[in-house]
Order: sequence, then structure tokens, then C-alpha cells
Amino acid sequence: MSRDPVPPQSPDGPQSLLAAAERLRNSGETVARTGRDPVNLPMIRTWLEAMGDAGEVYERDSVAPPAMIQVWTMRGLGPPTAGDPLQIMSDLLERAGYTAIVATDSSQTYHRYLRVGEKVTVRSRLDAVAGPKQTSLGEGWFVTTVSTWLVGAEPVAEMTFRVLRYRPGAPTGRAPSEPIMPVVTADSAFFWDGVAAGELRLQRCGECRTLRHPPGPACPTCGSFKQEYATATGAGTIHSHVVHHHPPVPGRRAPYVVALVDLPEGVRMVAEYRGPAPRIGDPVRVSFDGGLPVWCPDVPTLEPWTLEVTPTLVVSTALATRDFQNVHHDRDAAVRLGGKDIFLNILTTTGLVQRFVTDRLGPSARIRGISIRLGTPCHAYDTLTFTGQVFPHGVEVTGRTADGVHVTGTVRVAP
Amino acid sequence: MINGTAAVAGIGATEFSKDSGRSELRLAVEAIRAALDDAGLRPADVSGLVTFTMDNNSEIAVARELGLRELTFMTRVGYGGGAACAVVQQAVLAVGAGLADVVVCYRALNERSGRRFGQAFASADPDAAWHVPMGLATPAAQVAMVARRYLHDHGGSPDDFGRVTVAARRHAATNPHAWFHGRPITLDEHRASRWIAEPLRLLDCCQESDGAVAVVVTSLARARDLRRPPAVIVAAAQGSGPGQYVMTSYYRSPVAELPEMGVVARQLWEQSGYRPSEVRTAVLYDHFTPYVLIQLEELGFCGRGEARHLIADGGIELGGRLPVNPHGGQLGEAYIHGMNGIAEAVRQVRGTAVNQVPGDGPVLVTAGTGVPTSGLILRSGA
Repeated sequence: MSRDPVPPQSPDGPQSLLAAAERLRNSGETVARTGRDPVNLPMIRTWLEAMGDAGEVYERDSVAPPAMIQVWTMRGLGPPTAGDPLQIMSDLLERAGYTAIVATDSSQTYHRYLRVGEKVTVRSRLDAVAGPKQTSLGEGWFVTTVSTWLVGAEPVAEMTFRVLRYRPGAPTGRAPSEPIMPVVTADSAFFWDGVAAGELRLQRCGECRTLRHPPGPACPTCGSFKQEYATATGAGTIHSHVVHHHPPVPGRRAPYVVALVDLPEGVRMVAEYRGPAPRIGDPVRVSFDGGLPVWCPDVPTLEPWTLEVTPTLVVSTALATRDFQNVHHDRDAAVRLGGKDIFLNILTTTGLVQRFVTDRLGPSARIRGISIRLGTPCHAYDTLTFTGQVFPHGVEVTGRTADGVHVTGTVRVAP
Repeated sequence: MINGTAAVAGIGATEFSKDSGRSELRLAVEAIRAALDDAGLRPADVSGLVTFTMDNNSEIAVARELGLRELTFMTRVGYGGGAACAVVQQAVLAVGAGLADVVVCYRALNERSGRRFGQAFASADPDAAWHVPMGLATPAAQVAMVARRYLHDHGGSPDDFGRVTVAARRHAATNPHAWFHGRPITLDEHRASRWIAEPLRLLDCCQESDGAVAVVVTSLARARDLRRPPAVIVAAAQGSGPGQYVMTSYYRSPVAELPEMGVVARQLWEQSGYRPSEVRTAVLYDHFTPYVLIQLEELGFCGRGEARHLIADGGIELGGRLPVNPHGGQLGEAYIHGMNGIAEAVRQVRGTAVNQVPGDGPVLVTAGTGVPTSGLILRSGA
């Protein structure tokens, strides 16, 4: 017997985990697994009720809300399927000490709405395993799977789904840091008072009326110290922009965009830009967040929706989506795992995003896809506010709580 | 009036590293001693000290460590690396006015092992309130805003920035004092380097360095009697432009220009009587690549927006139309806030540079860009 000159690797080491991931990836798609029940009205009604979604269109047309797709094949409390690559990978990571799990991304495409009575199957494959990474929750691994739902041989929906398996406890990333706030002087106080009041103020000379930004005590045009302000329309166009990646900036999560904007009033102003990839010349409009101005694309917006996330909402939606993980219904378990309370599951966030868009666009809106990325968890007793911007490619949705951005996403709607 | 009656008589430096292992004060003293040795002067000959506002070593501490007894001239220049050539201008003025006979300009910093300028930090400057809290918090990001607009206004691509680094690293590769000695890069390596602040990649950003450089200035008459051939200061200029901010002069039009360098350029050509076409080699401040292109335009080496054509096909490399930064610049040699560039210009004038550019034409040096800045033209005093 020959001896291996290299000491055997730890079965839980990164190299060993990556090798296992590669084997599982190469094993391809699982055999089709059939949902426990066919698409049925009682489950649809329970789901709509839990989400608070009036959605008469579903019952009228005997179809399921598209965001329910994952629900039809949730495992529930039954034993895991043998040989499922995601389950095997998950088990390997759990054994390596990455005991906690949280979903981070879900991107669903719906080819059509499912009809009541249809029997759904799902096939999944492991797409990517990346780690170990330092995250705000702790060291962990991102596991991405791709699933296809079928009715008979017809693919009806697809999903790319990413979870983070992490070592709970002390986060290994940077200590949370406070954002850098502006130095306010006697010359600039009017501007920051305006931000606090939700308006964009520009310094105006009290003598020659020249507008100016950034402000100062003396008018460069006429020399007057008499300084007033005008309220800007809040519109502008991008003059230039930067995508900041590195190094870390206190209180911010990279990458983020900062834009220099030409205002129609004839001045320029720098602020963070939030929205799809910007181009020079794009129209933007100001909004305010965290005591700072923020540029957003100047497109139609949906009326915001605020909802109180009660424990009842968290629990009923978790059960209506057939997600029995304890962190969504058992407060003691959620606290033990480091949370402040039970929190919404990703299937529910997807459902709420869908509800927000269909409530606002009306019953005729046909949803083609929902892609979301989760940020801070949305706990019981949080207040969750959705905002949306309507682009040609879809509705960009953001859901925020007092703790930060819970979800960003895109809802693709049929034209 | 700058009229060629003062000269650089000596230059000195420490090694350039990522962790000097010694205090900034000690680095300053080592570099100054080396510069005085180079000139053939003793500490007792020094009567003036000039440095950057940002330098952490007080003139009196430097004087104590060097054993200087009396100083008759002390001053500092602000705006970071924009001070590099202006400190020499201050020395020229002091010598010309008879306030000091020998003036030493110094810059010593543990910029890599100590406080790193590239990080985001809060600033007490009220001007910073319009940028840093908005997330535009690092020099790279602040330059990237200009760089994106430059590409929009004039065409070209991030490859044009990359060519600046390729040239610098080619030059550094044959400079034993350069941090990147023996480590040239290709344009593909630039393209593959990670984003720092789009459109700038890691390889568009200069190094962070520990080290010190000192320059000895005296009258041309005295310099002629010293150990080294004098590098005559035929022009020395400072400049600030309209609507000037520190790294964020975004509120004037157009954004992708450096009018403050135009102010410097105008004076350099007027004082010296030279034209851009006569310059043998230019040592251009290169903390970030895009500003090398814009400087070439402001200094008149090419037309507005045409720098990418000048730098194409090795135009700024050794043997090119205008070799830029033969020592490797701050991208390749070290980031000593532009002072190592002045030392390189002196070596080029003396004919002692490792990558010597042939000829006897004048050598131009610039200081920090995006800030109030400065420049010099040096020529042989033989």
C-alpha cells in the first residue's frame, strides 16, 4: 500500500467541501419530485388570506398566484428526499459547523399561471457553491440551486435560489460602523434643515438671485452676504457617476453608486444613486434617506405600501407556504439562533412583493417573474414599507424596515 | 521672479517600502542627510526648511535631529501632493530674497504602514460635507467621477488609463529603487485587476508607500561650487483654478479638465521660455491614471481629448515621443507625495537616471492633481 505524501485533508475543510460541491454539481438534475397535492383552491385561499391578498382574479380564473410556485413542492415536515444534491450539500456544510441557514436570493420566472387541478413536479440541480465567505452573519457558504417545475413534460416555471449556510455567533466581518455624517456650518444649515424637511434647497443670493451649490457665506457673483434659499424641483440628469467597490466605507455596503447630477436650476450636486445601472444623461429625481439626499431614476413610482408585520402574519404565511422552519413560528428558537424575534420566510417576502405590485397595477397585471434579494430580516413587530419604480423592464421594488433594506427586487410584468 | 538663479544641489531618499519599521521623523532625517551628502553640504549649512502641510514632522524636530542651530526660513504648503513642486518654489523664493542660503525641502511618510490616504474617513473640512457623507469618500472614487466624464466627453476606454500603468511598470521594472522593480505588467493584467471605483481598477491607483525624499535648494552660484552639477530651476509655479475644491471640483464646467494645472503650465512656459515640444521627459504626478492623460492636455503636450492618441503605441514609454515618468512614477516606484518625482527630474538633468532619457532638453515635473497644484522645469546648469 502506497502512502499518500500529502496529509489527508480534513473532511470539513474548504477544499474538501468544494470537491464535494463539484461532484454534486456534476451529478446534474434530480429526478422529478411530485408535489404533495395538486394545485388546489383551499391552499390558494389560505395563502391569499395569510398574505392579505384580495386577488379575486385567481379564484375567478381558477389559477394559482404565480409566487406560490415553490409552495406546491415544499417538503413540509416529511423526511428529506434521498440523493437530493442540495440536501447533501446542506448536510455537509452543517456537519462542517455551518449550522444556520438563511435564504438570500430567489429569482423566479413563470411561463404561465398554474390551473387548479394540475399536478406539479420539480427537478433541481446544484448550480454553485461559494465559500467560505465573511458575511454580516458570520463565516458561511452560498449554495445556489436551479429548479424547474413541470406539469407533465411542460416546464411551467424556473427558479434560481441561493441560501447562506453560516456559522452563527460572532460575525467575522468588519464591526458595524456608523455612516459618516456631514459637518454642518452656519453656511450650510439651511440645506440640511431642508433634507430633514424632505426638500432640496439651493442657496440663492438675496441681492443678485444667483443660485449656488455648494453654498457659502458670500455670493461669488455680486459679493453679497445676504443669502437665502430656493427649493429645487428635485429633478436632474446624471452628469457622471461612480460605482464604489473598495475600500469599505463606514455605514455603507459596496458596491454602491454615487452620481454627480446636473439640476435644471443650473447647479450640480453629488449624492448616492439607487436604481438600475445608470448612464450619463439619465433623468433622476431626489428622495431622502438617513438624513441625506439620494438620487433615484425619474420614472413613475407606485404608491408606497406599509404593513405591520404581526406575529400572526409571520406564522400564518410561513404555514401557508408550507415552510415549517422553527425560526418562522417559534420565538424561543429564533432568539436562540441570534434573532430578535421570528421573521418572514423568503416565500412570504416573494408573495408580499407580488401582492404590492398586483394591488398597485390592478387585476389585469400578469406577473412573468419575481427576482428578489434579501437584506436585513423582517421580524415580527417590524413595520415593512414597500416602494416601487416602474421601468420598461419591470417594477423595481424595495421593502424597508427600521433596521434597513429587507428586500430589493424586480417584478417582471407582461406588457 | 523665477529666473534660473537657484538650483537643486542635492537629492536624497530612504528606501521605498510598505513598512519602514521606523518613525516618520527618522525617515525625514535620513533623507535630508542623504541629500546634504549628495550636495556636499553639512547640516550646519542649512538655514531653511520647507515641507507639506500634511507632513507630520515639525521643522523644529527635524532641525533638532539634524543638529541645526538656527533656522531663518520655515514654511509649509497645503493641498496634499499638490505641494510637491511648490515647496521647491518656496525655497527658490527664500534663496532669491536672501532669507536663507541653503533650503531643504522634505517629505517623509509612513503612508502604507501608518495612516493610509486611500481609506474613507470623516473630515472636518466643510467642503467634505458635500461628498464624503454621500459615499464619495475615497480619493479613487473622487477621481473616478472625473474619469467617467472624461471618457464620455472624449471617447476612449479604460484601456487608455491602463496604458499609463503599463508604461509606468515597464519603467519601474528596470529601476532597482522601485517597489515594482522587475515586475512589469501587460494591458490584460490591468483589465483583469479588480474594480476599486468604476471606471477605475486597482491598477489605475498608485501604490501606498513608506519613505522619505529631500531636495536641497541653493543659489546657482553656490551650487556650481558643490559636489554635483546643479539642476537649474528655470520655472517654478503654483496654481489654483476657478471653483477649486480638493479632489471634487465638480461644480465648474467642464468637469474632466484640470484648469489649475493650466494655470501652472502657463507660468512654466512663460518663466522658462520653453515650449512643450522642447521637453525631453516629463515627470507627471500619477496617483491615478486618468489625471496623467488630462495633465498631458493641460500642459500642451497634445490637444484637449487627444492624450489617448499620444499614449497609444508606447508614446509615453522610453523611446516614445514623450517619455513620462522614466523612474516608474508613483504607480511603479513609490508614492512619496510627488517628491520622488522631483528627485527623478534632477537625475534626468544630471544624466544619472537608471532609465536615462537622452538629450539635453529641459525636464518638467508636476505635483498632485485634482487639488491646487504646482510644477517645475529644470535644466542642466553646465
